Amino acid sequence: MQLIYKNALTNKMRKTANVNAALAAATCTLLGTSAVVQADEGVWEMDAALLYYGETERVTAVEGVFSAKKDFGDEHLFSTKITADSLTGASASGAVAQPNAQTYTRPSGKGQYVVATGEVPLDDTFHDTRAQLESQWTQPLWNDMRGSTGVHLSKEYDYLSIAVNGSFAKDFNQKNTTVSAGLSLAYDTIDPEGGRPVAFSEMVIDEGQFANEEAYQAAFDATRQTGTDDKTTVDLMFGMTQIINRRMLMQFNYGLSMSDGYHTDPFKVLSVVNDQGLTQSLVHEDRPTERTRHNFYWQTKYALDVGVADVSYRYATDDWDVSSHTIDSRFRFNLSDITYIQPHFRYYQQSAAEFYQPFLIEGTTLPTFATADYRLGEMTAYTLGIKYGMKMPSGNEWAFRLEYYQQDPKNAGFDEPGALKQLDLYPSVKAVIAQVSYSF
Amino acid sequence: MSTGYFTIVKKGDHMMGRFSAMASPCELLMETQDPLLANYLTSLAYKETKRIEQKFSRYLPNNPMANINHSMGKAVAIDAETFRLLEFANSCFELSDSMFDMTSGVLRQAWKFDGSDNVPPPEAVQALMPYIGWKKVKYNQSSITLIKGMELDFGGIGKEYAVDCVANMCTEYAPKTSVVVNFGGDIQVTRARHNSQPWYIGVESPEDDDKNTTHTLKIISGGLATSGDARRYLLKDGKRYSHILNPKTGYPIEKVSRSVTLAAPHCIQAGLLATLALLKGSDAEVFLEQQDVKFWCYR
Repeated sequence: MQLIYKNALTNKMRKTANVNAALAAATCTLLGTSAVVQADEGVWEMDAALLYYGETERVTAVEGVFSAKKDFGDEHLFSTKITADSLTGASASGAVAQPNAQTYTRPSGKGQYVVATGEVPLDDTFHDTRAQLESQWTQPLWNDMRGSTGVHLSKEYDYLSIAVNGSFAKDFNQKNTTVSAGLSLAYDTIDPEGGRPVAFSEMVIDEGQFANEEAYQAAFDATRQTGTDDKTTVDLMFGMTQIINRRMLMQFNYGLSMSDGYHTDPFKVLSVVNDQGLTQSLVHEDRPTERTRHNFYWQTKYALDVGVADVSYRYATDDWDVSSHTIDSRFRFNLSDITYIQPHFRYYQQSAAEFYQPFLIEGTTLPTFATADYRLGEMTAYTLGIKYGMKMPSGNEWAFRLEYYQQDPKNAGFDEPGALKQLDLYPSVKAVIAQVSYSF
Repeated sequence: MSTGYFTIVKKGDHMMGRFSAMASPCELLMETQDPLLANYLTSLAYKETKRIEQKFSRYLPNNPMANINHSMGKAVAIDAETFRLLEFANSCFELSDSMFDMTSGVLRQAWKFDGSDNVPPPEAVQALMPYIGWKKVKYNQSSITLIKGMELDFGGIGKEYAVDCVANMCTEYAPKTSVVVNFGGDIQVTRARHNSQPWYIGVESPEDDDKNTTHTLKIISGGLATSGDARRYLLKDGKRYSHILNPKTGYPIEKVSRSVTLAAPHCIQAGLLATLALLKGSDAEVFLEQQDVKFWCYR
């Protein structure tokens, strides 16, 4: 064996003059590492996390995340992530509170729920289970370039999303500058229980006016479209990362997102109120079929002797007139060699979509599009949190995170007729987030 | 923290372990904040380096190397590690057209590279030539036989070998921790850092005859080694005699590079390629260009 091996080395040397390749083989023999696998084959790095998200009186979510990453050597990286979450509780339907109790039909058409006097109508049947899988492969290409490609799958009971992405990154200036460009294509299909509502169709509420169950069902079905609908999204991303000095790194991104298809939330409605502010009927919302978003992102990380400061700002704007500003800051403070504490503060501000309105007024012209979904209204939100991490002697790490989140919807300049003046149409949403994670 | 043999200090986002061995400053940079881990890795490194030094140094009496070099023509038993190193040296001999020769160390009896002008008389060099020649060494997996008067010198690969052995041990014990093993400029980085940043390492390189400049190199992972005649040479009648000796003539290689620094997956691979480049004399750059490696060659 040994002799043949040596002859092979010598022949190779004479043919190609590449001594290095032969020397690499001899080195591997000496050091007991395999020439095929190379010495720098990495180990799987894994992360497991369990997250609890609880809004007061509204949605509760429990999410489990498992992610794994491996370096196959020479900067060939594979990463994958599996997420499973379960949501239960109630979410705002879009209808306004009233000075009397209100009866609603569930989105499925099966059964009703009653909202108490003065309460914001919450659809109490909100529950879902979601599973997500994403995988990414990154490797060097030619000329200091890196390529990355990945897939993303997300499945909910009534929703399926499939996405593929690809990106290139190139280093300049002795790897101090990295420029990247990426493309992502997503295809979503939705098939909600009970069907998709017809735009602006009136919610059918059984108040004893129907002769029998069939008559009710026929009236309900008339407000629904059968079959699935879909949405395609194209995302383009351009980024630049610049190492400013040994301690400081800066990143700029621009993202363009264009989506086409079904954007409407099949579970959201608008109240139609009279000039006294009293609800006369409820109609299903309708949104444009296209949306183009731009977002600009800047991030700076600064390493101090005691920790790391991380501050970012994002500005997003779109052709629905939703513009937002996000400031996110984290400061990692090393308490000791193996423990750290990380306070987190995030502030978010958003303007309302042009077709957002908290309710419709009876007798006025029906708009082309309308939604009362508070997530498309004017709002501010903030997050205050703290994370504590500790490293085991083995290098594995435990981390605990606790955060408070508050979302404050605002009136985007709508007059409130009669009874609505007395009611809180823009209640705050308060939530607690708790997370435990383990990296091994 | 200090144990008398090695020291550990915290350096910003990493820890540094230091000791002295193989006539060289030895340094470990570890991407950890854990003093216990840093201490353990440095103690492993210290023990392993001392083990290799004890076993292969030609300056120590009664070690395996002394047994081989003073065998007076008799066969001496060797272990598997020594055999692997001999095989490696044999590959280097073949790859270098017989220029890399572990038996050429006896020439030091004539050549003393102390910066003086003491160029030995030709008779002194000729008298040593019968004791040079790798092909005269007989060895197999269990023993080695040298002709009386011949000597083996692992000096050309020992430090680089120690760097790689220490790096392997660090990888085995702490696979997720990036460690830089730096023994006087012979370097191995076990893996890329978690923060994706390169390690910055100061390496001495000769800029002109009198002063050595420290260059900062960025290294993400892999090996780096330097070979050169920075401080070991003779100067007579304006002619510089490098300590890089040609085993075929017994005289220094002409037009040798001042220093060659080179990056390769392993430190010992980088070190040997740098040495082979020096042995090429004026053809060093041409040789290095053909090897498809990153290198810095100073003249």
